[in-house]
Amino acid sequence: MEASTLAAVPNGVFSDYELNPKFLDEVFDNHGNINYHYEKVLAQFAQYLPENFKELNEHAKLSFFNQGVTFAVYSDKAKGVERIFPFDLFPRIIPAEEWAQLEKGILQRNLALNQFIFDIYHKKQILKDGIVPAELIFTSKHYLKAMMDVNPVGGIYNHISGTDLIKHSDGQYYVLEDNVRTPSGISYVLSNRETMKRTLFSLFRKFNIQAVQDYPQQLLATMQSVAPEGVDMPTCAVLTPGMYNSAYFEHAFLALNMGLPLVEGRDLYVEKNFVYMKTIYGPKRVDVLYRRIDDDYLDPLSFNPDSVLGIPGIMGAYREGNISLLNAPGTGASDDKAVYSYVPAMIKYYLGEEPILNNVHTYRCEIESDYKYVMENMEKLVIKPVDESGGYGILVGCKATKEQISEFKQIITANRRKYIAQPTMALSTHATFIDDDNHFEPRHIDLRTYSLLGKDRQFVLKGGLSRVALVKGSLVVNSSQGGGSKDTWVLDDNPTSHQNGSFQSQSQSQGGQSQSQSQGGLSQSQTQGG
Amino acid sequence: MLSRIGNSLFWMGRYIERAEHIARYTKVQYVSSLDAPLAQSKDFVLESILSMAGVYYKYFGLYPQLNEEDVINFVTLEETNPFSILSYISGIRENARGTRDCISLELWEAINQCYHRVNSYSAARLQSEGVFRIAKLVEESTSVIKGYIDNTLIRNEVWMLISLGIHLERAIQVSLILLTKIRDIDKIDKEKLGGPVENYQWTTMLKSAESFDMFKRYYAANPNRRNTLEFLIFNPAFPKSISFNLNYIHKSIRDIAFHEKKEAGSINFMAGKMANSFKYMTIEDTEGGLTEFLNKTLKDLYDLANVLEEKYLNF
Repeated sequence: MEASTLAAVPNGVFSDYELNPKFLDEVFDNHGNINYHYEKVLAQFAQYLPENFKELNEHAKLSFFNQGVTFAVYSDKAKGVERIFPFDLFPRIIPAEEWAQLEKGILQRNLALNQFIFDIYHKKQILKDGIVPAELIFTSKHYLKAMMDVNPVGGIYNHISGTDLIKHSDGQYYVLEDNVRTPSGISYVLSNRETMKRTLFSLFRKFNIQAVQDYPQQLLATMQSVAPEGVDMPTCAVLTPGMYNSAYFEHAFLALNMGLPLVEGRDLYVEKNFVYMKTIYGPKRVDVLYRRIDDDYLDPLSFNPDSVLGIPGIMGAYREGNISLLNAPGTGASDDKAVYSYVPAMIKYYLGEEPILNNVHTYRCEIESDYKYVMENMEKLVIKPVDESGGYGILVGCKATKEQISEFKQIITANRRKYIAQPTMALSTHATFIDDDNHFEPRHIDLRTYSLLGKDRQFVLKGGLSRVALVKGSLVVNSSQGGGSKDTWVLDDNPTSHQNGSFQSQSQSQGGQSQSQSQGGLSQSQTQGG
Repeated sequence: MLSRIGNSLFWMGRYIERAEHIARYTKVQYVSSLDAPLAQSKDFVLESILSMAGVYYKYFGLYPQLNEEDVINFVTLEETNPFSILSYISGIRENARGTRDCISLELWEAINQCYHRVNSYSAARLQSEGVFRIAKLVEESTSVIKGYIDNTLIRNEVWMLISLGIHLERAIQVSLILLTKIRDIDKIDKEKLGGPVENYQWTTMLKSAESFDMFKRYYAANPNRRNTLEFLIFNPAFPKSISFNLNYIHKSIRDIAFHEKKEAGSINFMAGKMANSFKYMTIEDTEGGLTEFLNKTLKDLYDLANVLEEKYLNF
């Protein structure tokens, strides 16, 4: 019998599951009823004893460890300790129709951002029209003068975007951040799926889950689509800061899965505005570079002169149109958290559409009235620096002490442009296996999505990285702040069109297969009988 | 292929072979000393292990005297010793990490697993289980790794450079084993030569190069100076002999087809000259100057490696 409520789930792994009415739980509603798209998962999990689950969990961890999906813990260098990125076996499930809206919204947003970036490096029309304040852009440390009047192939700047979403207690998705510099985490999405398939294979048969495995091919096609003019067979490469970078695993993973060389700055050099890599057979020209190095470090001649990671002169080659860079330099001026508040206006301005995804209301401390409100309501707000990522430098007002709040007030007052504030968003919770206690507890989650823009092509990965704040009650999900992750399943269960189609094609192919199989089986049984 | 990647692959191969040889040598010396004829002194064996691993002076710079546990630990697990087996295995893994995008997942997992096993091997466990276990672990892991190299990689520059590294290092390691054992034998009293003590040393030499069984098949005789050296230096069909490996090195370099002319000073020329000179030599040609001959061989091998790195693997 399948349980339909929390209380009816047997065997105790959910016995201490406390629903908090202040937050939306992805798995259960407020009365403890199981949401319909989770029923099959709970039916399966109900068959496991806590010990079984622990064993599965260990199995999954070992799978990550042996795949080398680890990051070094720098403080404990003596014995070369490595940890895996914590992973939870309970998948986050998104129904098809819910996803369809998200996908449209993500694409809309990133297309508008792309036009915005083009605009601020060309005519600056949106600034002249007073839709976005000009000083906001010109004071951004990510706004690069070197990008003025540069025309990237296909007019694409933010080829790869990692839009972060949350689900609020009102049941709506909100965009939390637009990451259009070098968003990371995709390797975890693919490794999580691989581990899930190894560990909970039987569960996969009960759902129609959208595949995520085609991301590397899509990324490669995106790279090739923006090859410099006149290059038919572009040489593409992935540029990494090196193997001691915390995301090196991901850089290598993507290069391997796209079949591209993984290069470092010291492998490349620029001659007469063309970029070459040093190979055992001599120099080879590079046409497209997916770079995982920040703008600052890209070219010591143009930006940070102390950078040893970059390639002297690459910006010259870029401006000449001899190499394409993904993402384009200078995109960071658009994912600044203060600029974030203008994205809905950008969507209307450039696309003439209503924004599909919600924005979180944002107070910009440099505006007098906003600043005043922030100062008076610190404990209701989350304060963020506009240009940091990875969850650094954030103050969650409701969790902060009086000392921290007064300290932060001074910090903000000293540099008002640098800070924004947002109401504390009630990130939804999701059942998560807690290792030490051997049972499930609700933990807050968000969703990192991945979308690609190329010349005449667009792609949104059907899935993403559901990041989990593993510390009880914490709202900070970043991996650098003790977060973990879940596999994210986008269902393909549209009953009218898609499933009928796939059912037909499935039954057809089954017919074909069963013929040849039964022949083989027949001859086998004949031999055995004889 | 990127020169940096070429460099990492080449050194991955070299470290694999080096870790394996030092593990085996340490094990063979230590284990066979336990029942050696005429109660061979322990210090003799420990000194031999230190000099083969190339850390004789380094050891005495840190420790006042020879101590069995210190020596074994220093050569195998000591992480501050850049020439310990653990350091070499870390080197294999670091090089593999840097070349993840051109090797197979299976190879990477085998290397990663080997590293974690050796890295988590505690000094206490080494003490209680002795050198035999850890050496076996390293020998088996490197065999598995080499199995994945040969069975999962395309025969392109990636495979060729790893193989080149392996066989170049093997020629070097076998030369070092020969030099070390000849020095050991020279320390034996002259009157005992020719008897069981000397015979024992030749057996150990063969076992250190994992060659004893094949030697017996080939000669059907007890090892002596002449046949042991002939087997390990000149046998063209035995994969541990120096000559075999020189041929292999020459073939690898030809296959990689570096863009160079075949002229004096090119690595193709250097490798061909060495391999061919071994083809037309006999053991008699080394009489009276064996140590010089082996030292010259080592120098030529190091020179070849240097030119290769400077010309093609530099970045």
